[in-house]
Amino acid sequence: MHRIEFTLNGERLELDVEDHMTLLELLRDRLGITSVKEGCGIGECGACTVLLDDKPIYSCLTLALKVRGRDVKTVEYLSLDGRLHPLQEAFIKRGAVQCGFCTPGMLLTAYSLIQSGKKVDEDTIREALSGNLCRCTGYIQILEAVKDVAHI
Amino acid sequence: MPVGKPIERLDALEKVLGAAKFGADIKREGMLYGVVVRSQKAHARIHHIDTSQAQMIPGVVKILSFRDIPGKNRFGVLRKDQPYLSEGYVRFLGDPILLVLAESERAAREAAASIRITYGELEGIFGPSSSALSNVKIHEDGNLLCQKKVIRGDIQKGFSTSDLVVENTYQTQFLDHAFLECEAGVGFLDELGRIVIISSTQNVHYKRKEVATLLALPEEKIRVIQATTGGGFGGKLDMTVEGYVALAVYHTKRPVMIRYTRSESMLANTKRHPLTISYKTGATKDGRLTAIQVRVVGDTGAYASYGEVVAQRAAVHASGPYEVPNVYVESLMYYTNNPPCGAMRGFGIPQMAFAHESQMDEIARLLGIDPLQIRLINGLKRGASTITGQRLTHSVGYIDTLKAIEPFWRDRRKGDWEGYGLGSMYYGIGNTGVPNPSSCYLTLREDGKIGFHLGACEIGQGSDTVLLQILLQTLSVGPEGVELIRADTDLSKDAGSTSASRQTYITGKAVQLAGEALKGYLEEKGFYRGRSLKEIYLEAKEEGRILFEGFFDPPTTPLDPQGQGIPYATYAFATHMTKVEIEPATMRCRVKKVIAAHDVGRAVNPVNIRGQIYGGIAMGIGLALMEEFVPGKTLNLNNYYVATIKDMPEVETILIEDPEPTGPYGAKGVGEPALIPQAASIVNAIRDATGMRILKLPCNFERLWLQRLSGGT
Repeated sequence: MHRIEFTLNGERLELDVEDHMTLLELLRDRLGITSVKEGCGIGECGACTVLLDDKPIYSCLTLALKVRGRDVKTVEYLSLDGRLHPLQEAFIKRGAVQCGFCTPGMLLTAYSLIQSGKKVDEDTIREALSGNLCRCTGYIQILEAVKDVAHI
Repeated sequence: MPVGKPIERLDALEKVLGAAKFGADIKREGMLYGVVVRSQKAHARIHHIDTSQAQMIPGVVKILSFRDIPGKNRFGVLRKDQPYLSEGYVRFLGDPILLVLAESERAAREAAASIRITYGELEGIFGPSSSALSNVKIHEDGNLLCQKKVIRGDIQKGFSTSDLVVENTYQTQFLDHAFLECEAGVGFLDELGRIVIISSTQNVHYKRKEVATLLALPEEKIRVIQATTGGGFGGKLDMTVEGYVALAVYHTKRPVMIRYTRSESMLANTKRHPLTISYKTGATKDGRLTAIQVRVVGDTGAYASYGEVVAQRAAVHASGPYEVPNVYVESLMYYTNNPPCGAMRGFGIPQMAFAHESQMDEIARLLGIDPLQIRLINGLKRGASTITGQRLTHSVGYIDTLKAIEPFWRDRRKGDWEGYGLGSMYYGIGNTGVPNPSSCYLTLREDGKIGFHLGACEIGQGSDTVLLQILLQTLSVGPEGVELIRADTDLSKDAGSTSASRQTYITGKAVQLAGEALKGYLEEKGFYRGRSLKEIYLEAKEEGRILFEGFFDPPTTPLDPQGQGIPYATYAFATHMTKVEIEPATMRCRVKKVIAAHDVGRAVNPVNIRGQIYGGIAMGIGLALMEEFVPGKTLNLNNYYVATIKDMPEVETILIEDPEPTGPYGAKGVGEPALIPQAASIVNAIRDATGMRILKLPCNFERLWLQRLSGGT
């Protein structure tokens, strides 16, 4: 057991974690944040994506210990002020959500890209989202939604 | 009016918030975890099972075997041939043997891994041709699951009047559904002592029946509720975790969760049937089809699942959307020791389209006729007959899909290593020549809302939204006046499975009929002149008329032994045109552009339909170029490749609306049609780009290189 403190969606947390616990297990099983999904457990599908210091990571491949002193965001962060983030609105409007299992991870990766301040075009969106699999939508409406928010 | 509008999905908000509860997201106080122990041999007798180590692991509560099953240890959608837990004999790598229950998932997995099983291996059968010849019997009745035929006209005469005969054999692969959400569910006892299961599924009513048989309990003692379901594509039609969850609750009286890891899902889940399709086509020199002779041999794996359905559908759709006067189709399905193959988006027709569309292009090429023209010449039109002798009298938009594609086709400009291909399909909506009903009901309620009790499972494709649109249209009310209660065996009637692209058409019609029944009553009671639903409810209660039912079973007839009859009340039609680009150094094929034209009868929700088409194209790219399940080898998404956002082309969709008179506001279905023509159009585009005719899928870059090295065509 190790004591760690970190920031989760803007809130400071301090708790004990086991050596082998992944960030995915910490978030889902311990803290009940089930928006973080497990789709493969080996860092292939991106359903478990969270932001670590605003960069997307696979929480299934990240030990909980590694977030000590750092900032973690899950999809709940996007609407903390009680309003939908423009990306969430665009996902709804464009029909970018079907089964919804990939949606939280997809939104977080897109959010990270938009927030990064990098120049964004269709290719950079495709590159950024290429680690998040979706089996339902064929990605096109997801791409449309992110383009809307990036004003391209 | 709601029908025809791109209304936002009902469930989109909770999904973008991450609030939707999928099977594995549900927690109950004092919940146990279950893990299924699976066979590590493909065909064997179990000699000994040693659970002594597992029993000693802290937290292990029970280890259940087939002896703990109070009812029947068999399930199956058509043929009950699959045991929940092995009775000492295993038929595939992954066949379930034991169920371990523990206080934590970690303990359950550790215990499952510590169980030692000794096997006496048996000779395995890993293909349909060895299955046909072998003395080894996988099931008592023999290895042939079924044989379906479609015979029409005079096949000898057909070929003798042909100017050209083209003959090829096509081979397809095992595919995994690879829905993003692996199978998961929880179970518990309710206050009445009944077993409740909440799971990721495509059919709650079927699963209740199977659980009742497994536990030897009346159906009333079981309640199945659908959790938010993360994709299905046919893979959540068969029993997955439900039987194990139910058995565990039965024995422990405690809440239980079972969720498959990706590897367990890939081991346990049914696959798409690999088909070997020997296809002989005759045509006259002006491009008219005279005869087809088709032999389809499929591998259904260790258990029947939907094997008979796939064999039947493959036979019925063997020609593609064309008129052919002389037909001999034989479709056989064999048991093997491969993983069981079941339903997967299109039930065999994406494979058949690969074959019949390749044949069409070969005939066109050899006769010097344009590929679009040869489809126009032979395409099904109003008044034409299918190969089962069904005369199509309405909603036959196939030629319109070709006409819609034509300007793009005429305008194509080909660069080096680029090619264009067409793929067409038709697809019968609903089950094949068997009753296929759906029911739903509406209630008037004290709170002044209309209760919309729907048995259909929303699996991500958007049925909740589309069916609500149909109801709102019928009742002329707004969405605020209706509360949807969905896929709960206690609170809905059987709507049949979410499969065969049937929910919009069949359940949609049932919804419309229920809506019309209620509307008649509301008119009588003055609702449309301003009386409130609360007031009307009180009167309705007095009269005992608070429930309004809708029922629809599409008009079909069974097929006779020659495969003749009216297997479906309506068909969807589609054509895709695809542009590919091959990178000559690697022979990697990239899909650059797709124009997809679909006759959907009536587009109830155009944004949803576009989503279905895009998703179908992604899966079609997988089928053509990258996806391949190899038993025992592909156990996760690291070597089972599905299309990423970088694999997606630019897509233009064209919706044709040739209304179906028996459908709700003219609607048919689109879920499977979206996928079916895609792989076919890709292989035809590769032929155009390289001169190479692809006979085996997937044509990944390794295979394309090998074919190029071996001389090209």
